[in-house]
Amino acid sequence: MDVARRNNVTVTGNPQGPAVLLAHGFGCDQNMWRSTVPALVEDYRVVLFDYVGSGRSDPSAFVPDRYASLEGYARDVVEVCEALDLRDAAFVGHSVSAMIGVLAADMAPERIGALVMVAPSPRYIDDEDYRGGFSAQDIDELLDALESNYLGWSAVMAPVIMGNADRPELGEELKNSFCATDPDMARVFARTTFLSDSRDDLKRVRVPTLVLDCTNDAIAPREVGAFVHRSIPGSTLVTLDATGHCPHMSAPEATNEAITRFLAGLR
Amino acid sequence: MMCREEHDPRGADQAVFAALLEDSAEELYESAPCGYLSTLMDGTIAKINATLLGWLGRERAAVVGRMRFSDLLTVGGRLYHETHFAPLLRMQGEISGIALEIRQADGGRVPVLVSSVVKHGSTGEPLLIRTTVFDARDRRAYEEELLRGRKVAEEARRQAEADRARLQDALAVLQQALLPDALPPIPGVETASYYHTASPDRLGGDFYDVFPIDGKRFGFFLGDVCGKGPRAAAVTSLTRYTLRAAALHDPDPVSALTTLNKVLHERYAGEGDPRFCTVVFGVLEPDAATGQTAVHLASGGHPPALVLRADGTAGFLPTPGGLLVGILPAAPFATATTVLTAGDTLLLYTDGLTEARTGEGRARLYGDEALLSFVTDHAGERPPDVIHALTELLRGFGDGLDDDTALLALGVPAPGTETKHTI
Amino acid sequence: MSPLQITLRDAVTGPVLNVTGELDYTNAAELLDRITAVALQPGRRLVLDLGGMRFCDSSGISALIAARNHALAAQADFALAAVPDHTLRVLRIVGLDQILTFHPDSDTATRP
Repeated sequence: MDVARRNNVTVTGNPQGPAVLLAHGFGCDQNMWRSTVPALVEDYRVVLFDYVGSGRSDPSAFVPDRYASLEGYARDVVEVCEALDLRDAAFVGHSVSAMIGVLAADMAPERIGALVMVAPSPRYIDDEDYRGGFSAQDIDELLDALESNYLGWSAVMAPVIMGNADRPELGEELKNSFCATDPDMARVFARTTFLSDSRDDLKRVRVPTLVLDCTNDAIAPREVGAFVHRSIPGSTLVTLDATGHCPHMSAPEATNEAITRFLAGLR
Repeated sequence: MMCREEHDPRGADQAVFAALLEDSAEELYESAPCGYLSTLMDGTIAKINATLLGWLGRERAAVVGRMRFSDLLTVGGRLYHETHFAPLLRMQGEISGIALEIRQADGGRVPVLVSSVVKHGSTGEPLLIRTTVFDARDRRAYEEELLRGRKVAEEARRQAEADRARLQDALAVLQQALLPDALPPIPGVETASYYHTASPDRLGGDFYDVFPIDGKRFGFFLGDVCGKGPRAAAVTSLTRYTLRAAALHDPDPVSALTTLNKVLHERYAGEGDPRFCTVVFGVLEPDAATGQTAVHLASGGHPPALVLRADGTAGFLPTPGGLLVGILPAAPFATATTVLTAGDTLLLYTDGLTEARTGEGRARLYGDEALLSFVTDHAGERPPDVIHALTELLRGFGDGLDDDTALLALGVPAPGTETKHTI
Repeated sequence: MSPLQITLRDAVTGPVLNVTGELDYTNAAELLDRITAVALQPGRRLVLDLGGMRFCDSSGISALIAARNHALAAQADFALAAVPDHTLRVLRIVGLDQILTFHPDSDTATRP
């Protein structure tokens, strides 16, 4: 099996530097790291990839059963590490990817030596005393939104189909992000992401970990960031002055600064 | 121009133009038939038009500077916004036609189509997000109908496929139950068999079996129940077990067929849908001292068996006058005997083989003579090799083989010959 | 594959069914339905004229037997006319030549 093709693996940066994996979250692909990559390429070997079912991954590799649990995605991460023979790599995961990184580090401790968890949440649904921020019904609504946008996409896709001569990169972006988000695969990823409960996995983290949360994140509120920090022994928590769930996009300088400082401290 | 008004048009139209001129940009913004809003990059609402406020059922003061765009959305929509819409808007600078729902102050929901564009400053830094919101209630209702229709159709298709797969599994199991798993070893005799199923959807009516009768004799039979499908399979099952039981009681071939005839006739003749079969039933009696095997068989309406001799000759073992089994309360059966010596093979087959089409339509069938000629070329070969050759022959018929076909070969191997094929 | 055509006419001896085309698994039941719908008086003769039948498989043979049983149940005679060589050969193999009556054509078969 060609893992590089399956996960659309891109390797850039300094071949001699320590490896850093950048893992996108649900709903996007490796392009979301475009503001992060420039801050890392000088000192690090930067590995980007798309999860199966996202971006430009190989759609034929999609097996619903495998990706019905975060372990399936984590196995893919381990296989990417093995294919590139990475050792002690730092895994930077956004949102659900932060939890996938936790699982991958547990499966292959020799491969993953540090974790950066960007806007992580180990469980999105409220549970007794735990406040995840959402109810099971809310998650169903998200699945509905996915479904209705499947039809709505025709409007989005029109400029791509017609071609957009003066902004070719726009067509590229749309193709990257929308084409590949097959609704059936997105549905599986959404269910796996938002119905997962990885709270117990946090306690098993044994590698240096940086937790990044945002002052104003509708998906992973600060109390969730604090919970993750509390659950991982020895972890560092940095709260970014950022709004939204994607600080690496909305506040790239502050995010890059926090990540590079943490990575530098590992050496 | 097809038709031109000759009077001066200016009187009435001038009043309309005047009214249009009074429609300021501000008026157009506030009362446009779509919602407008502008937000800071963090989503905080800085400006919103009256149309959208009307849809939301909220006061301007409660919204501007106090709410974010995502606060206007349903929770599911907010998740979608945060994970998909917002990152894409960041990446592309614009995004259009995204279906979301906005929440009204009274808890109601309005399906909308949202497009946003980022306004950049003179140095390229993002300043604010301009968003238009279109009422999509009618469109969404239509889309939901489409989605519902698609779901129903997909569910029906999935169900149909599952049913079909389950049915095929069940049919395969039933078909297997009509045939022996493996033929028992017979001292001094080598056996081989093959079963071709014409259609996975239709249970076949062909059958065969080989089984021990007592310490020195073995029974065998091969036949064809008229018709196909579950009813034929039921007859096949009844036939197979009746023959085995009858042979244990009295192994004489005619007695076994007579018992079967009685059973089938009594079971089916009264129903107006008579069921019957053709069958060859026989007994093998290997003699360890001579290395020869005696064959006694009887046929009820079945095509004659073939005997392939070690010397390279072959011939039919005629059983004329044997009647279909099950058709009359008492039926005549024809008997035949032969002795198999080293290198001889007895071959039983069903008419799927001889009735295979070899040309267009049903005008040209394979036939008895072609079969005799074919097996003559394989006379002297061991049973597995004969069956292998016939299997290849059947494969060569392709679509011409549209009936089930059963083959059973029983032979006395010549000393020192190696079997080329294992069946 | 040519479809099965069945026509009914009355001869002095009783009903004559002309069977044309290919008689097989797919349409044997249709023939049987037509035959059982034919009213038969005791002592009359049901004749199947197979002169136009180009193919007959085991289901077809079953239908012929059912036709014979239907006639016998009505205390009527049963005869086949103009049986094609191939079918005649099959009927011999299955031993039905012993219990069915054959005529070279329907004229002979309908002679009182």
